[in-house]
Amino acid sequence: MSKVAVDIPPKGGFSFDLCRRNEMLTKKGAQSPSFLKTGTTIVGLIFQDGVILGADTRATEGPIVADKNCEKIHYMAPNIYCCGAGTAADTEAVTDMVSSQLQLHRYHTGRESRVVTALTMLKSHLFNYQGHVQAALVLGGVDVTGPHLHTIYPHGSTDTLPFATMGSGSLAAMAIFESKYHEGLSRDEGIKLVAEAICSGIFNDLGSGSNVDICVITKGHKDYLRNHMLPNPRTYVSSQGYTFPKKTEVLLTKITPLREMVEVTEGGDVMEE
Amino acid sequence: MSIFEYNGSALVAMVGKNCFAIASDRRLGVQLQTIATDFQKIYKIHDKLFIGLSGLGTDAQTLYQRLVFRHKLYQLREERDMKPETFASLVSAILYEKRFGPYFCQPVIAGLGAEDKPFICTMDSIGAKELAKDFVVAGTASESLYGACESMFKPDMEPEELFETISQALLSSVDRDCLSGWGGHVYVVTPTEVTERILKGRMD
Amino acid sequence: MMKIDFSGLESAVLRSCPNSELFDGISTTPSFQIPSTTDFDGFQKEAIQMVKPAKGTTTLAFIFKEGVMVAADSRASMGGYISSQSVKKIIEINPYMLGTMAGGAADCQFWHRNLGIKCRLHELANKRRISVTGASKLLANILYSYRGMGLSVGTMIAGWDEKGPGLYYVDSEGGRLKGTRFSVGSGSPYAYGVLDNGYRYDMSVEEAAELARRAIYHATFRDGASGGVASVYYVGPEGWKKLSGDDVGELHYMYYPVEPTAVEQEMTEVSVA
Repeated sequence: MSKVAVDIPPKGGFSFDLCRRNEMLTKKGAQSPSFLKTGTTIVGLIFQDGVILGADTRATEGPIVADKNCEKIHYMAPNIYCCGAGTAADTEAVTDMVSSQLQLHRYHTGRESRVVTALTMLKSHLFNYQGHVQAALVLGGVDVTGPHLHTIYPHGSTDTLPFATMGSGSLAAMAIFESKYHEGLSRDEGIKLVAEAICSGIFNDLGSGSNVDICVITKGHKDYLRNHMLPNPRTYVSSQGYTFPKKTEVLLTKITPLREMVEVTEGGDVMEE
Repeated sequence: MSIFEYNGSALVAMVGKNCFAIASDRRLGVQLQTIATDFQKIYKIHDKLFIGLSGLGTDAQTLYQRLVFRHKLYQLREERDMKPETFASLVSAILYEKRFGPYFCQPVIAGLGAEDKPFICTMDSIGAKELAKDFVVAGTASESLYGACESMFKPDMEPEELFETISQALLSSVDRDCLSGWGGHVYVVTPTEVTERILKGRMD
Repeated sequence: MMKIDFSGLESAVLRSCPNSELFDGISTTPSFQIPSTTDFDGFQKEAIQMVKPAKGTTTLAFIFKEGVMVAADSRASMGGYISSQSVKKIIEINPYMLGTMAGGAADCQFWHRNLGIKCRLHELANKRRISVTGASKLLANILYSYRGMGLSVGTMIAGWDEKGPGLYYVDSEGGRLKGTRFSVGSGSPYAYGVLDNGYRYDMSVEEAAELARRAIYHATFRDGASGGVASVYYVGPEGWKKLSGDDVGELHYMYYPVEPTAVEQEMTEVSVA
């Protein structure tokens, strides 16, 4: 096979070719950038017929709220979801990678994914990167062996718990769980308790805020309750909005009309010989 | 000094009714020294898809070239243009590939998707997607832009009003930033036409 | 009886907090309280980093046939953020003398006010106005006594005395230079470029004012930390007078007018028949 001179899209894995340059820039005094973080409250608990996961919806970049309504409960498999805290790119990438591996695994085996499979894949990936992939996760799901709830730390250690919290608001949320959790919660009680724990994070932790997302997973069924509660609606917007009496001064205008998409009907006329 | 503040930039994209606008400032500087006042920060991927790249100029141009290359490969293989959502995932993947040695770039992507539904999104330098329904901002003037857009934006604007809003948000924000400004560059894209405008702004 | 004021030479700072009752407030050099720390140098270094003085300015002054022309921009910045576009950087010490402000705003304002007091006292004691030479030396001596302690001042003292126009450059490192043409601040290289190119000794007041304004304008164009209003002062035998204060945002389009071009309409490609 002939060697191609151009750079072919890589098959995957990290690329370290800018590391040396960036290190040099840092040495010369340039600060390395801060990344989008989810200084988060994420929680999960096991109730009588399954697992409930919860998360707030704030994403921060330093002191700035970058996204007021982001999604922190990630899809892993139809019966497994995962809440992510830490560097947003890492939580997103690691859950996406594992969920695609799980999908391939399901195609191969023809069976429902198990939570422990996802757990092992996540922890081995995180362990390999020795904490440099900054993802703290709450993994929950219901499989053939029943409901499961796990927490995974950035270095790859895991816990198996009846109720769990993670992120910067974990203490505030855990306070609610510790005082009110008991075995055999009903679905409504469970949702109420998770919402209360997330609200505790939203109101008492500065890194968490905005709305409450909840995901209820039971045997063979799941309910993703996006924006289950909206405890922080906008209060300061004027109904008319802004109007601009003076027109913006424009130096140059260029208008390019776009061509209509031409419909091609195939197999219409028979081509002449 | 952060490496993001080396060249200086301001980028913003907004959604209107069946249309979107993307705007940038025009300055290229080396820290406080202004080198050029006609620098292109918004690039066209295809007729209905634009990407703005803020941050370090050299990385922005390199990244743009890689994106064009990947988009052309896609066009050859699929015989169609990329959807904005697909393109955003591509940008995200290219950035995350360099998780431990990133491009010092924060992109803003804006496009018209299926049935001409507007799509905007931004990312950090390692590809964490931030999808928004209203507006996204990036660059050294981002904090001022957040404030300006938060108060000026309203949903479902027509193209003319959208242009007025995004321009005023941009111009008022860069007037509070040393490292960006020197005029503005605005694209307003509707399903039928692309309007490109150069704004008159303060030159200090 | 004549008395020379040596207060500027006294090492006021290292004297542990003098009893203020004993000294009259005006005659002593104000002294700071010393922080109670063992590592004084380290403390100072940290303190300076914490309240990093607003930098980024363009100021200029030059002597010509008719007197001295003084000009400055009006921007104050903190890092990349513009905190004000309407700062008065030309300080009126007395009707015959002006000081310019570059470096720390508080340092400049305070010590110019202090200099104003000293000049007035000199006037009362000697029944004649202080020379520009003398005033600049008073300031330089004070600044030298605080050398290395974190003051940040880059100033020009311009005025008219018995010997005619006078112009000195004084900085917080203790330097004091006599000259005919100075520019201070981050925009000074650009201002020097215009100034050196257009300077003639035998200019009229109008020509000199236009040169000063243009130099400030060009500096604000190239320098990110300069901008706002270009104000121009003239000091002649009758004392100083403010000649102009122009918004450089409008100045640019006055110097380089642009006409909005007609809307450029890109032709639609005729669809294939």
